[in-house]
Amino acid sequence: MVICAVHVPESAEAAVDRLAGGGWVMGGGTVVMPLVNSGAAPVTELVSLRRAGLDGVEVRDGVATIGAAATFTTVGERPELAFLRPALRTIASPTICNQATVGGNLFVAQPYGDLAVCLLALDATCEIAGPDGRRDAPVAGVLASGVAAGEVVVAVRVVLPQPGTWYYHKAMRRRLNSAAIVTVASVTRADGGVVASTRIALGGVASRPVRAGSAERLLRGRPLTHEVLTEAGEAARGDIDPFDDAYASAWYRARVLPVHLRRAFLP
Amino acid sequence: MTYRLAPIDTSTFTAERAAAGTGTDHTVIGSAVQRSDARGHVTGRTEFFEDVAPPRLAHLKMHRSARHHARIADVDLTEALAVPRVLRILTHADIPNNLFTPLKLIGVGPDDEPVLAVDKVRYLGEPICAVVAETEAAALEGAARIKVTYEDLPPVFDVEEALKEGAPLVNEYHGQNHFRYEGHHCRRIRFGDVEEAFARADHVFEWRYQSAPIEQAPVETTGCVVVPQADGRLRIHSDTQACFFTLDNTALILETPFNKLRIVGGTVGGGFGGKVDVVVEPVACVAAMLADRPVKFVYDRAEEMQVSSPRAAERIYIKDAVMNDGRIIGRKVTLYVDAGAYSRHSPYGTTKAAAHLPGPYAIPNVWADCHCVFTNRTPSSAMRGFGVTIADFALESQMDRIARALDLDPLRLRLLNAYRDGDLKAHRKVAEGTALVEVIQKVAEMAGHELPETYRRMSSTTREGL
Amino acid sequence: MPSQIVSLVVNGEQREFIAAPGATLLASLRESLGLTAAKRGCAQGACGTCTVLVDGRPEVSCLVAVETVAGRSIRTLEGVAAGGELDEVQSAFVDCFATQCGFCTAGMIMVAEALLDRNPDPSDEDVVEAISGNVCRCTGYRPIVIAILEAARRRREQAPQEVASR
Repeated sequence: MVICAVHVPESAEAAVDRLAGGGWVMGGGTVVMPLVNSGAAPVTELVSLRRAGLDGVEVRDGVATIGAAATFTTVGERPELAFLRPALRTIASPTICNQATVGGNLFVAQPYGDLAVCLLALDATCEIAGPDGRRDAPVAGVLASGVAAGEVVVAVRVVLPQPGTWYYHKAMRRRLNSAAIVTVASVTRADGGVVASTRIALGGVASRPVRAGSAERLLRGRPLTHEVLTEAGEAARGDIDPFDDAYASAWYRARVLPVHLRRAFLP
Repeated sequence: MTYRLAPIDTSTFTAERAAAGTGTDHTVIGSAVQRSDARGHVTGRTEFFEDVAPPRLAHLKMHRSARHHARIADVDLTEALAVPRVLRILTHADIPNNLFTPLKLIGVGPDDEPVLAVDKVRYLGEPICAVVAETEAAALEGAARIKVTYEDLPPVFDVEEALKEGAPLVNEYHGQNHFRYEGHHCRRIRFGDVEEAFARADHVFEWRYQSAPIEQAPVETTGCVVVPQADGRLRIHSDTQACFFTLDNTALILETPFNKLRIVGGTVGGGFGGKVDVVVEPVACVAAMLADRPVKFVYDRAEEMQVSSPRAAERIYIKDAVMNDGRIIGRKVTLYVDAGAYSRHSPYGTTKAAAHLPGPYAIPNVWADCHCVFTNRTPSSAMRGFGVTIADFALESQMDRIARALDLDPLRLRLLNAYRDGDLKAHRKVAEGTALVEVIQKVAEMAGHELPETYRRMSSTTREGL
Repeated sequence: MPSQIVSLVVNGEQREFIAAPGATLLASLRESLGLTAAKRGCAQGACGTCTVLVDGRPEVSCLVAVETVAGRSIRTLEGVAAGGELDEVQSAFVDCFATQCGFCTAGMIMVAEALLDRNPDPSDEDVVEAISGNVCRCTGYRPIVIAILEAARRRREQAPQEVASR
């Protein structure tokens, strides 16, 4: 449709007020503007978060609160979030990192949106503003069913992983910033040589980022060896619903999943 | 990291280089010469067609076929015409001569492609109506609101399926699913007797090769800006790779004398063969005349990928008669070029493929059938050595597989079969100026690949070692 | 909502123009301000040829709704050659044959300018990553990487003299 208005509210509350009139929320525009440019956006109004004061990152007591409009560059430049840098490089070029936002990435269609995969592995919490005030929701719920009409994700809260517990690996067609064939992100803590706790999130293998619950169950209490990880990767095939696209077939994604799940832990 | 600022191969043209130092005219060879257009490129002053911004510029967007093969039962423009700032919608009835092949001026026919679809669509994305509007957004919205009712027809997507008895007829202008070459069903080569060669060969090898379509994907998409002039002429700013093709073919479609058109071109943001089909200019000219204002028609990225003509998909069967020592005594090739729904440059590309067979080898018995086939896929056309490139992929893969099967050195196999000056080629031309032997010898040397003395002494100008 | 007056600082100059709702920064530069160096290659953020600097950082201008950057400082290729003199990146692009058709050049140079502003001595890998959002279909990229490394070298060699002349 033809765009009739682009609102640039100066606060989260003003953004929520604007949304009451309909339209789409826009973070950095990397997902919304391509649709606008091809005339395919199903809305006539856009509400940009670029000036809503949601672009900061705060870290306190081991918890990072990342504004929904914080760009990938902003995230990558925070020393406490440096563990995400390798993931960011696989998602977007430095140029797009200056535009793409953390909140926007939650609403990106697969096989893109690998920061959301990371946030799922981190078991992040979304802070959501709406006409009835603020609420928190687990990122898993937002990825599964979005937010209600009129609501805006204003921040994402992440408990920083302990050193040595963060794992990330992505199979793609080129070395930098490409769509996912298989993305694996995980917070896994080993104790006495065996896995004490683990969360594994997968990208590129379903219509949205998914937890590899089967693999997690299989890994608990066992060592991170080649054999155990392969077994876990094979089990994870039960957690996915892969698709064909220009990058890979569904068959291929399922076929290589165990390899890449293993490589996330044993490069 | 070391890098070379201006990589020049100083190991060649040594004589010329030496002469340049002593004051001859040969001052260019062996020296770096700046590109004449580089300064414009690095300052942003090079003018590409889309950098032209005449006042009152209108925008054209196409409503395209949503089907691979269908009859058009109805086209409803009502909603589209109601979109604010839509100026006009063109249909086939607005195009003076609604037919083209880009090769008509060199006598290649029949004309087989409507500029705008009439009663049938033959590929996904075929243009049906052109919406002209004051803004790009309005043109897009208008195009989206056109309603076309289709009666589906069975599509055919495979070259061999398309040639079978009873296959759906793709292109009625031809009457059959292949291009007819001077009355023949394909481009043919008949040289010697391949069947006799197969009968007496030590080995017969037959393999199949095929390729997918390849999109040129220029960073600048195909497009033009047409500006009506005060004297009634049309000035066409285009990124065509072929200004004169564009001028002539556009004039034929507009049924106007050539001198009523002026092409401003020559600056192409990447072409690679993909910008020679004269697809955007004719309809943009009609739009500019009817709307009486400048009109821009430029593909968006999705159009460039979906409907701009790619390199043709090909399927190639090669059957070779080979002796124990590696000599190839017969080669039979059946080659299919997938032209898509319309000819474009594919009849010519198929001829090029035939002209390239059986590769640069002296083979005494050659048989080839090269088919230009119509299917319900995007029309294919020119791209960097089209016709030849995929044939080479198949021929050289075949050579490697023969070498592997006979446990021969692949370079020696090629040296043994390479054509020499004086050889009669399959097209009854005597080979001259050949250099394949020397090229392979040089490659072997550079790659550190040892050749025996007899092979090192081979030459394109003698029969030494054969 | 009607069109609005948008104000930007473009290449150091305050510029005002009327923008229709949803107009991109790219369209505004090209159509409203006549600055056509930045190109439209895909309008999807995938090719990088429309890259300009927004407050010193590269962004693909085709994905920026112009209202969202009102008041910000924009640098385009037109603002790179000071007084008609090519800068180090531009001259290295010429000397290293980093241009062919020229359509990706504006984006490549702007990305290079941003890289060298932050990292005067980039590695080969740094350069490759910096241009990883920019598509070139002619050169195969190598001459562009070489040109940017060469520009960095020239700039480092010049830097001490510039400091001395100030």
